[in-house]
Amino acid sequence: MKELSINDFFDLCKQRFVLSIITDSLSTDKKIVEPHIHRPGLALSGFFDRFPNQRIQLLGETEISYLQSLPEDVLYDRLEEMMTMNIPCFVVSKGLSVPSQMDFIANEKSIPIIVSRLSTEKLYWGLSRFLRDYFSPDQSVHGTLVEVFGVGVMLTGRSGIGKSECALELIERKHRLITDDVVRLKQQDDKLFGFSTKDIGHFMEIRGVGIIDVERMFGIEAIRKESRVDIQVELMPWRENMDYERIGLTNQHTEHLGMEIPCIYLPVSPGKNVSVIIEVIAMNHILKTYGYDGAEAMQRKLAEEMQQKTRQRTINTQNN
Amino acid sequence: MIKKKIIVQNPLGLHARPSSLLVKLANQFRSDFYIRKDDMTINGKSIMGVMMLAAECMSEIELIIDGVDEEYLLQEVEKLFAERFGE
Repeated sequence: MKELSINDFFDLCKQRFVLSIITDSLSTDKKIVEPHIHRPGLALSGFFDRFPNQRIQLLGETEISYLQSLPEDVLYDRLEEMMTMNIPCFVVSKGLSVPSQMDFIANEKSIPIIVSRLSTEKLYWGLSRFLRDYFSPDQSVHGTLVEVFGVGVMLTGRSGIGKSECALELIERKHRLITDDVVRLKQQDDKLFGFSTKDIGHFMEIRGVGIIDVERMFGIEAIRKESRVDIQVELMPWRENMDYERIGLTNQHTEHLGMEIPCIYLPVSPGKNVSVIIEVIAMNHILKTYGYDGAEAMQRKLAEEMQQKTRQRTINTQNN
Repeated sequence: MIKKKIIVQNPLGLHARPSSLLVKLANQFRSDFYIRKDDMTINGKSIMGVMMLAAECMSEIELIIDGVDEEYLLQEVEKLFAERFGE
């Protein structure tokens, strides 16, 4: 299970959510282990059953004004009880100031209180999205991810089969590289996304040449930082007598992170222009998502023709 | 060289699926394989050709096979037609 230390959380979100910390220091070993946010209204009113203490506790105007309305001794008891439950941190919205007792107990129990300038609503959705992205399952795959006509195509296949060379040809044809060699996959919103494992630029290894910098060489239009992964193309050496797809009426799939995406097994042989075929695969994918399947259309037309001929044949035999 | 006439018997004719079965089978042999229907002769190892024949049920086609393993190929193709491509 993934976890996120409060220090990292603060560093990652400081700018985005205009955060500042009001407790003494961030020197805490507290960790966020759940991608959810909790607004502890009920807990503040004294109901601690099923209190989700592992979540970030978000205090908005409602919670803060409730706290301010409490008599001091009750306020102290409630907050102390809450903070003995090992919560990761408090986040306060709208730049509101918390009662001084709260600050005091938080420092004692070393639970950070982080204040944001954003409104509760914005903060809630923003943090939810951030946490969901951070905690979403990921996986690394040996392959190259390119975006062809807006379709995310992940090229896979054994080392040396020509994934990078194919990607290079596609870049030449004005398509865009996301990452070469290792694709980090993430599942977000029931869709599969891919990006580079490291944010160090778009480098690529070409056999016999070495490392090249794609962004420098082809310009900013040749790259992207992330893309959806719509389809996988597995490049494989051409073999005689191997069953390759001839019609395309049966669609094969492959699975990553529990998500199914279409997979095409593409035989490659020397002199074959793979990049043009990849473009065709991408365009065909677009057509299929728009509801047109070339293989099916042809099949239908042939079936009609044959039916007509069969009818003609029966009429002829009856007349004879 | 062998020439043999055969009647298509599966009800839907040589549509996409049977065509692909036929082509896959033919590609496992070394002999040249042609199919003639009316005045059209096509290469039996190419899927587009076979589908373009649009050979309907009860139509007659001629198999033209030439090569070292022609008899085996004919045997297998006849078997496929006799089984009506499993339909």
